[in-house]
Amino acid sequence: MSSVLKAQKANASKLEAKGKGKRKAEDIDTDEDAEIVQPKKKRNKQRVLLLSSRGITHRMRHLMNDLEALLPHVKKDSKLDSKSQLSLLPELADLNNCNNTLYFEARRHEDLYLWAAKTPNGPSIKMHVQNVHTMDELKMTGNCLKGSRGILSFDKAFDDSEWGRLTKEIFTHIFGVPPLARKAKPFIDHVLTFSILDNKIWFRNFQIMEKDPLQPNGPPQTSLVEIGPRFVLTPIRIFEGAFNGATVYSNPEFVTPAAVRSLIRQEKGDKYRQRKEAQEESSKRKELRRRDEDVLAVSKVFA
Amino acid sequence: MEKLMELLGEDGLNEFDQEQLQSLVGDNDSEDEGESEEDGEDGDESGSEGEDSDLGEVEKDGEDVDEDNGDGELSEGADVALDDLEDGFDDEDMIPKQKMEIDNKVALERIRETIQLDQSLPWTETLAVSYPQTIDVDVDDDLSRELAFYKQALHGANTARTLAAKYNFPFTRPSDYFAEMVKSDSHMERIRQRLLDESAGMKKSEEKRKEREGKKFGKQVQLEKLKEREKSKKDMDERLKNLKRKRKGALDNAEADGDAFDVAVEDAISDHPSKRGRGAGGKKISRDSRDQKFGFGGKGRRSKQNTKASTDSFESGSGRGGRGGMRGGRGGMRGGRGGGRGGGNHRPGKSKRMASRSKN
Repeated sequence: MSSVLKAQKANASKLEAKGKGKRKAEDIDTDEDAEIVQPKKKRNKQRVLLLSSRGITHRMRHLMNDLEALLPHVKKDSKLDSKSQLSLLPELADLNNCNNTLYFEARRHEDLYLWAAKTPNGPSIKMHVQNVHTMDELKMTGNCLKGSRGILSFDKAFDDSEWGRLTKEIFTHIFGVPPLARKAKPFIDHVLTFSILDNKIWFRNFQIMEKDPLQPNGPPQTSLVEIGPRFVLTPIRIFEGAFNGATVYSNPEFVTPAAVRSLIRQEKGDKYRQRKEAQEESSKRKELRRRDEDVLAVSKVFA
Repeated sequence: MEKLMELLGEDGLNEFDQEQLQSLVGDNDSEDEGESEEDGEDGDESGSEGEDSDLGEVEKDGEDVDEDNGDGELSEGADVALDDLEDGFDDEDMIPKQKMEIDNKVALERIRETIQLDQSLPWTETLAVSYPQTIDVDVDDDLSRELAFYKQALHGANTARTLAAKYNFPFTRPSDYFAEMVKSDSHMERIRQRLLDESAGMKKSEEKRKEREGKKFGKQVQLEKLKEREKSKKDMDERLKNLKRKRKGALDNAEADGDAFDVAVEDAISDHPSKRGRGAGGKKISRDSRDQKFGFGGKGRRSKQNTKASTDSFESGSGRGGRGGMRGGRGGMRGGRGGGRGGGNHRPGKSKRMASRSKN
């Protein structure tokens, strides 16, 4: 274990090659170690830019904060001012040395869309976020180290379709914490699960408990406790470029939340209209049934 | 479409068809919206077309076909549209149908290959694992759905542990490793407090429920007791009646064997007649001791009443006359009721009684 730790340290120090004076002494000896073990090691280098549009609600903001807390390789940026100029985002990511972007786009202060993109040259996925539960909820009782690397678990449905495979790849880049991440902790204590169900991607985050807390000396038995957050992503489209480009996949089943709401309103309106029509009809018929004044009219008989 | 509707309206369609048409019109509207969105994206597309022309073509083709379809629907005669209607536009889930589906597998695969991480990277770089099953549960069934996710995560954790062991990668956090956690201590305290509150509430409600049930049960017990009492009373009546019937002849000359009758009555009343019967045959206790043991029921109502003899004699209490006699009589009555306590009026006055009660 110690050798791995050492190697990690070495890599971390490599990353900060520009150098802080404090580290120098360490650098010298550990660098040698690493080079002896493996002369040229390929590394998974990922950095994610996390930002949102204007007009997000507190819940969305908390979700963003949770993701930031969970993923140490995330760089959070300030809100993006305009919703139409998404082409700014790749530049922004470049400025922040990021090769991935998670962009939360809020519409009408109620709908949340999530763009997951590989920034310099695509692809990007646009998804609709629903059923958000943040980590602040007291029902989620788990806890994990801040910045520990989580296991990513994808279910089989990701491998069944081409878009699923691509999504899996992108999510592996974005949600998988690279070992080099500056704030990463060397142990694993939580697992992020992505499952496709009902053509939606369900996200859960569990803490791995290796021992029963009730009998700490008992046999090790893995159990899980949910940490949060949880949310459901409905993929809408996959674009070839980063925030632009041709659509290579579109979800035919996706109905915009605005359409859903308008449908509901329409139904309500229909109900009202039908009721009003029926009322009018009945009053008309009543009018028709009325008999005109004659000798036997009520008013004359009972005068 | 509206023209179409007008035409049809003149022909005199029935209401059902009209409604279907109405819904179709609504759908077309939404379709228009969708297409306007796509138009916007087309604009974007033109920017990137240079680098990937073949893809663009595929893309374009798909859209052309779709547009053709849309036009056809609008321009073709009424009969075709009606056919469409009958084919199944009366379903509610037609919204997905009219949306264009793009699933350009070739492009997706190519893109994936361009961004793919190096296959030679060890597992420890990504920590990604696959679950060999699809989640196949009812979406609306929260419990089984979450259970499926849990199972997936558990599988992920276990495979990750074995993989970590294989790659000699530190997995478990040692117990002496402390670092900042995702959730702060105060937050965890709140969670703990809530759990405690929850369990306390559960315990409390459970207790309440038990109590309520106990009460209900207690009522039942009381009812049963009452029933039993009733029953025993009835039983007793029955027994007495039986006795009377048996002793009908004997009652006529009650004087003759009064003692025997009494014994029989007692026999009948008691729950263990045979035992009683034996006891009666045994040694008789004297009157005095019996009075001492069981109490003397008092002298009786008439004991203080004047008899023929007493009216004539003036031996005791002569001076007081009728009034004194009356008082005596009352005392006797009370004595009779009070049992062996005697006729003396020991009851204190009301105020004293109240005072003593309040003291207690």
